[in-house]
Amino acid sequence: MNSSDKIPVFALVFGIAYAVIYVICTELNLPLLTYNPAIVEVGILWQPLKSGPAMYWYGWMLTSALGALAVAFIAIAIPEPWLQRLITFGCVAATAYLVLYTLALFIYDNATVELGFLQSRWLSAAAAVVVAAILSALVPS
Amino acid sequence: MIFWTTLLVIHGLFALALLGAITHQSAALWWSVRDRAGSFVARFRAVPGTPYVTAIILLYVITFILGAWIYTQYRFTARVALEQLRFFRTVGVFELKEHLATIGSIVLPAYWTYWRQPLTQDYANARRHVSLLLAILVWCNFQIGHVVNNARGMGS
Repeated sequence: MNSSDKIPVFALVFGIAYAVIYVICTELNLPLLTYNPAIVEVGILWQPLKSGPAMYWYGWMLTSALGALAVAFIAIAIPEPWLQRLITFGCVAATAYLVLYTLALFIYDNATVELGFLQSRWLSAAAAVVVAAILSALVPS
Repeated sequence: MIFWTTLLVIHGLFALALLGAITHQSAALWWSVRDRAGSFVARFRAVPGTPYVTAIILLYVITFILGAWIYTQYRFTARVALEQLRFFRTVGVFELKEHLATIGSIVLPAYWTYWRQPLTQDYANARRHVSLLLAILVWCNFQIGHVVNNARGMGS
Protein backbone atom coordinates (compact mmCIF):
# COMPACT_ATOMS: atom_id res chain seq x y z
CA MET A 1 0.00 0.00 0.00
CA ASN A 2 1.59 3.32 -1.03
CA SER A 3 1.12 6.60 0.83
CA SER A 4 -1.63 7.88 -1.49
CA ASP A 5 -3.67 4.70 -0.88
CA LYS A 6 -3.32 5.06 2.87
CA ILE A 7 -5.42 8.23 3.17
CA PRO A 8 -8.68 6.69 1.82
CA VAL A 9 -8.06 3.52 3.84
CA PHE A 10 -7.47 5.56 7.00
CA ALA A 11 -10.58 7.70 6.43
CA LEU A 12 -12.83 4.76 5.61
CA VAL A 13 -11.64 2.53 8.45
CA PHE A 14 -11.82 5.45 10.89
CA GLY A 15 -15.48 6.02 9.94
CA ILE A 16 -16.49 2.36 10.16
CA ALA A 17 -14.58 1.75 13.41
CA TYR A 18 -15.95 4.93 14.97
CA ALA A 19 -19.53 3.89 14.16
CA VAL A 20 -19.08 0.41 15.63
CA ILE A 21 -17.30 1.64 18.78
CA TYR A 22 -19.85 4.44 19.20
CA VAL A 23 -22.73 1.93 19.18
CA ILE A 24 -20.93 -0.19 21.78
CA CYS A 25 -20.21 2.90 23.91
CA THR A 26 -23.83 4.05 23.85
CA GLU A 27 -25.21 0.56 24.51
CA LEU A 28 -22.83 -0.25 27.37
CA ASN A 29 -22.43 3.38 28.50
CA LEU A 30 -18.65 3.68 28.22
CA PRO A 31 -17.83 7.39 28.23
CA LEU A 32 -14.25 8.58 28.64
CA LEU A 33 -15.63 11.54 30.56
CA THR A 34 -18.92 12.69 32.07
CA TYR A 35 -20.13 16.28 32.00
CA ASN A 36 -22.50 17.71 34.58
CA PRO A 37 -23.91 20.86 32.93
CA ALA A 38 -25.77 22.15 35.97
CA ILE A 39 -22.59 22.42 38.06
CA VAL A 40 -20.19 22.76 35.08
CA GLU A 41 -18.05 19.82 36.18
CA VAL A 42 -16.18 17.27 34.09
CA GLY A 43 -15.45 13.85 35.57
CA ILE A 44 -13.23 11.11 34.23
CA LEU A 45 -15.01 7.97 32.89
CA TRP A 46 -18.60 7.23 33.92
CA GLN A 47 -19.86 9.28 36.84
CA PRO A 48 -23.23 8.91 38.61
CA LEU A 49 -25.81 11.72 38.65
CA LYS A 50 -24.83 14.57 40.95
CA SER A 51 -26.74 17.81 40.85
CA GLY A 52 -28.91 17.69 37.73
CA PRO A 53 -28.48 15.48 34.69
CA ALA A 54 -25.18 13.97 33.56
CA MET A 55 -24.12 14.11 29.90
CA TYR A 56 -22.27 11.13 28.48
CA TRP A 57 -22.43 12.01 24.75
CA TYR A 58 -19.12 13.91 24.75
CA GLY A 59 -17.49 11.00 26.54
CA TRP A 60 -18.87 8.46 24.08
CA MET A 61 -17.50 10.50 21.17
CA LEU A 62 -14.10 10.76 22.81
CA THR A 63 -13.93 7.02 23.52
CA SER A 64 -15.00 6.27 19.95
CA ALA A 65 -12.54 8.75 18.44
CA LEU A 66 -9.56 7.30 20.32
CA GLY A 67 -10.60 3.72 19.53
CA ALA A 68 -11.23 4.53 15.85
CA LEU A 69 -7.88 6.32 15.53
CA ALA A 70 -6.10 3.27 16.93
CA VAL A 71 -7.97 0.93 14.55
CA ALA A 72 -7.31 3.23 11.56
CA PHE A 73 -3.57 3.36 12.30
CA ILE A 74 -3.49 -0.45 12.55
CA ALA A 75 -5.43 -0.67 9.26
CA ILE A 76 -2.82 1.29 7.31
CA ALA A 77 -0.04 -0.81 8.80
CA ILE A 78 -1.35 -4.27 7.86
CA PRO A 79 -1.39 -5.84 4.35
CA GLU A 80 -4.45 -5.05 2.20
CA PRO A 81 -5.82 -8.63 1.92
CA TRP A 82 -5.92 -8.80 5.73
CA LEU A 83 -7.62 -5.47 5.86
CA GLN A 84 -10.27 -6.58 3.33
CA ARG A 85 -10.99 -9.64 5.44
CA LEU A 86 -11.20 -7.58 8.62
CA ILE A 87 -13.62 -5.09 7.03
CA THR A 88 -15.77 -8.00 5.78
CA PHE A 89 -15.61 -9.55 9.25
CA GLY A 90 -16.62 -6.31 10.95
CA CYS A 91 -19.51 -5.56 8.61
CA VAL A 92 -20.86 -9.14 8.72
CA ALA A 93 -20.49 -9.28 12.52
CA ALA A 94 -22.41 -6.00 12.97
CA THR A 95 -25.22 -7.10 10.62
CA ALA A 96 -25.36 -10.61 12.12
CA TYR A 97 -25.57 -9.19 15.65
CA LEU A 98 -28.46 -6.93 14.65
CA VAL A 99 -30.35 -9.79 12.96
CA LEU A 100 -29.63 -12.39 15.66
CA TYR A 101 -30.44 -10.15 18.62
CA THR A 102 -33.68 -8.97 16.98
CA LEU A 103 -34.58 -12.60 16.25
CA ALA A 104 -33.73 -13.66 19.82
CA LEU A 105 -35.94 -10.92 21.29
CA PHE A 106 -38.75 -11.80 18.87
CA ILE A 107 -38.60 -15.47 19.95
CA TYR A 108 -38.42 -14.44 23.62
CA ASP A 109 -41.52 -12.25 23.27
CA ASN A 110 -43.54 -14.93 21.47
CA ALA A 111 -42.36 -18.09 23.26
CA THR A 112 -44.83 -19.84 25.57
CA VAL A 113 -42.03 -20.82 27.97
CA GLU A 114 -39.55 -18.56 29.76
CA LEU A 115 -36.35 -18.32 27.68
CA GLY A 116 -34.50 -15.66 29.64
CA PHE A 117 -31.10 -16.45 28.13
CA LEU A 118 -32.32 -15.04 24.79
CA GLN A 119 -32.25 -11.58 26.34
CA SER A 120 -28.48 -11.78 26.78
CA ARG A 121 -26.60 -9.52 24.38
CA TRP A 122 -23.45 -11.59 24.84
CA LEU A 123 -25.07 -14.71 23.39
CA SER A 124 -26.08 -12.85 20.21
CA ALA A 125 -22.67 -11.16 20.05
CA ALA A 126 -20.86 -14.51 20.32
CA ALA A 127 -23.09 -16.06 17.65
CA ALA A 128 -22.49 -13.03 15.40
CA VAL A 129 -18.72 -13.39 15.77
CA VAL A 130 -18.95 -17.08 14.79
CA VAL A 131 -21.11 -16.26 11.74
CA ALA A 132 -18.74 -13.46 10.72
CA ALA A 133 -15.67 -15.66 11.14
CA ILE A 134 -17.17 -18.39 8.93
CA LEU A 135 -18.38 -15.99 6.24
CA SER A 136 -15.19 -13.94 6.10
CA ALA A 137 -13.17 -17.16 5.80
CA LEU A 138 -15.34 -18.24 2.85
CA VAL A 139 -15.07 -14.93 1.00
CA PRO A 140 -12.19 -15.10 -1.53
CA SER A 141 -9.43 -12.57 -0.87
CA MET B 1 -30.45 33.49 28.52
CA ILE B 2 -29.75 36.15 25.86
CA PHE B 3 -26.30 34.61 25.36
CA TRP B 4 -27.70 31.13 24.68
CA THR B 5 -30.48 32.45 22.45
CA THR B 6 -27.91 34.41 20.41
CA LEU B 7 -25.74 31.31 20.17
CA LEU B 8 -28.76 29.29 19.02
CA VAL B 9 -29.55 31.85 16.31
CA ILE B 10 -25.92 31.77 15.10
CA HIS B 11 -26.03 27.95 15.14
CA GLY B 12 -29.20 28.11 13.08
CA LEU B 13 -27.66 30.51 10.55
CA PHE B 14 -24.60 28.29 10.08
CA ALA B 15 -26.91 25.29 9.74
CA LEU B 16 -28.91 27.11 7.08
CA ALA B 17 -25.75 27.93 5.11
CA LEU B 18 -24.63 24.30 5.42
CA LEU B 19 -28.03 23.07 4.28
CA GLY B 20 -27.90 25.30 1.22
CA ALA B 21 -24.36 24.28 0.28
CA ILE B 22 -24.83 20.52 0.72
CA THR B 23 -28.19 20.57 -1.08
CA HIS B 24 -26.69 22.52 -3.95
CA GLN B 25 -23.77 20.10 -4.24
CA SER B 26 -25.94 16.97 -3.99
CA ALA B 27 -28.42 18.27 -6.56
CA ALA B 28 -25.55 19.00 -8.95
CA LEU B 29 -24.17 15.48 -8.40
CA TRP B 30 -27.37 13.46 -8.62
CA TRP B 31 -29.37 15.58 -11.02
CA SER B 32 -26.69 17.21 -13.09
CA VAL B 33 -27.09 19.05 -16.38
CA ARG B 34 -24.32 20.09 -18.74
CA ASP B 35 -25.93 23.22 -20.10
CA ARG B 36 -25.75 26.09 -17.63
CA ALA B 37 -28.16 28.23 -19.60
CA GLY B 38 -31.85 28.05 -18.97
CA SER B 39 -34.07 28.22 -15.93
CA PHE B 40 -33.07 28.83 -12.32
CA VAL B 41 -33.37 25.09 -11.64
CA ALA B 42 -31.03 24.25 -14.54
CA ARG B 43 -28.45 26.73 -13.23
CA PHE B 44 -28.86 25.27 -9.74
CA ARG B 45 -28.12 21.78 -11.09
CA ALA B 46 -25.20 22.83 -13.28
CA VAL B 47 -22.80 24.04 -10.57
CA PRO B 48 -19.49 22.20 -10.06
CA GLY B 49 -19.39 20.42 -6.68
CA THR B 50 -15.70 20.85 -5.88
CA PRO B 51 -15.72 24.50 -4.67
CA TYR B 52 -18.30 23.59 -2.01
CA VAL B 53 -16.20 20.93 -0.27
CA THR B 54 -14.09 23.08 2.06
CA ALA B 55 -17.05 25.32 2.87
CA ILE B 56 -19.24 22.30 3.70
CA ILE B 57 -16.61 20.76 5.97
CA LEU B 58 -15.97 24.06 7.78
CA LEU B 59 -19.68 24.83 8.12
CA TYR B 60 -20.37 21.33 9.44
CA VAL B 61 -17.59 21.55 12.03
CA ILE B 62 -18.64 25.04 13.20
CA THR B 63 -22.34 24.07 13.33
CA PHE B 64 -21.47 20.88 15.20
CA ILE B 65 -19.32 22.67 17.79
CA LEU B 66 -21.96 25.36 18.37
CA GLY B 67 -24.68 22.69 18.64
CA ALA B 68 -22.62 20.65 21.10
CA TRP B 69 -22.09 23.80 23.19
CA ILE B 70 -25.77 24.78 23.21
CA TYR B 71 -26.65 21.18 24.07
CA THR B 72 -25.16 21.67 27.56
CA GLN B 73 -27.72 24.38 28.28
CA TYR B 74 -30.57 22.49 26.58
CA ARG B 75 -29.91 19.42 28.72
CA PHE B 76 -30.87 20.98 32.05
CA THR B 77 -33.25 23.72 30.95
CA ALA B 78 -35.28 23.16 27.78
CA ARG B 79 -35.24 19.38 28.01
CA VAL B 80 -36.46 19.36 31.62
CA ALA B 81 -39.33 21.62 30.58
CA LEU B 82 -40.16 19.38 27.61
CA GLU B 83 -40.24 16.34 29.91
CA GLN B 84 -42.51 18.16 32.37
CA LEU B 85 -44.81 18.99 29.46
CA ARG B 86 -44.68 15.27 28.53
CA PHE B 87 -43.24 16.05 25.09
CA PHE B 88 -41.46 12.70 25.10
CA ARG B 89 -41.46 12.30 21.31
CA THR B 90 -39.76 15.66 20.93
CA VAL B 91 -37.16 14.72 23.52
CA GLY B 92 -36.68 11.34 21.85
CA VAL B 93 -36.24 12.79 18.40
CA PHE B 94 -33.60 15.17 19.77
CA GLU B 95 -31.74 12.15 21.18
CA LEU B 96 -31.69 10.92 17.58
CA LYS B 97 -30.23 14.24 16.45
CA GLU B 98 -27.14 13.86 18.65
CA HIS B 99 -26.42 10.47 17.06
CA LEU B 100 -27.08 11.72 13.51
CA ALA B 101 -24.75 14.67 14.11
CA THR B 102 -22.06 12.26 15.29
CA ILE B 103 -22.51 10.06 12.21
CA GLY B 104 -22.21 13.16 10.02
CA SER B 105 -18.97 14.18 11.72
CA ILE B 106 -17.39 10.75 11.19
CA VAL B 107 -18.38 10.78 7.52
CA LEU B 108 -16.39 14.02 7.01
CA PRO B 109 -12.92 12.38 6.67
CA ALA B 110 -14.24 10.04 3.95
CA TYR B 111 -16.09 12.95 2.31
CA TRP B 112 -12.89 15.02 2.23
CA THR B 113 -10.88 12.05 0.92
CA TYR B 114 -13.23 11.35 -1.99
CA TRP B 115 -13.31 15.02 -2.98
CA ARG B 116 -9.53 15.51 -2.87
CA GLN B 117 -7.95 17.09 -5.96
CA PRO B 118 -7.39 15.81 -8.57
CA LEU B 119 -10.78 14.07 -8.60
CA THR B 120 -10.42 10.43 -9.61
CA GLN B 121 -13.06 8.55 -11.55
CA ASP B 122 -12.53 5.56 -9.21
CA TYR B 123 -14.25 7.46 -6.42
CA ALA B 124 -17.04 8.98 -8.51
CA ASN B 125 -19.73 6.71 -7.06
CA ALA B 126 -18.37 6.94 -3.52
CA ARG B 127 -18.34 10.73 -3.86
CA ARG B 128 -21.97 10.80 -4.91
CA HIS B 129 -23.11 8.50 -2.12
CA VAL B 130 -21.11 10.11 0.68
CA SER B 131 -22.34 13.55 -0.37
CA LEU B 132 -25.93 12.32 -0.45
CA LEU B 133 -25.57 10.68 2.97
CA LEU B 134 -24.20 13.92 4.41
CA ALA B 135 -27.05 15.86 2.79
CA ILE B 136 -29.66 13.51 4.29
CA LEU B 137 -28.05 13.78 7.75
CA VAL B 138 -27.92 17.58 7.55
CA TRP B 139 -31.54 17.78 6.40
CA CYS B 140 -32.71 15.44 9.20
CA ASN B 141 -30.80 17.39 11.85
CA PHE B 142 -32.08 20.70 10.54
CA GLN B 143 -35.67 19.50 10.67
CA ILE B 144 -35.27 17.97 14.14
CA GLY B 145 -33.65 21.13 15.50
CA HIS B 146 -36.44 23.18 14.03
CA VAL B 147 -39.15 20.95 15.54
CA VAL B 148 -37.53 20.98 18.99
CA ASN B 149 -37.02 24.74 18.88
CA ASN B 150 -40.65 25.23 17.92
CA ALA B 151 -41.84 22.92 20.70
CA ARG B 152 -40.23 25.01 23.37
CA GLY B 153 -37.19 26.86 22.19
CA MET B 154 -34.42 28.55 24.11
CA GLY B 155 -35.59 31.70 25.79
CA SER B 156 -39.27 30.82 25.60
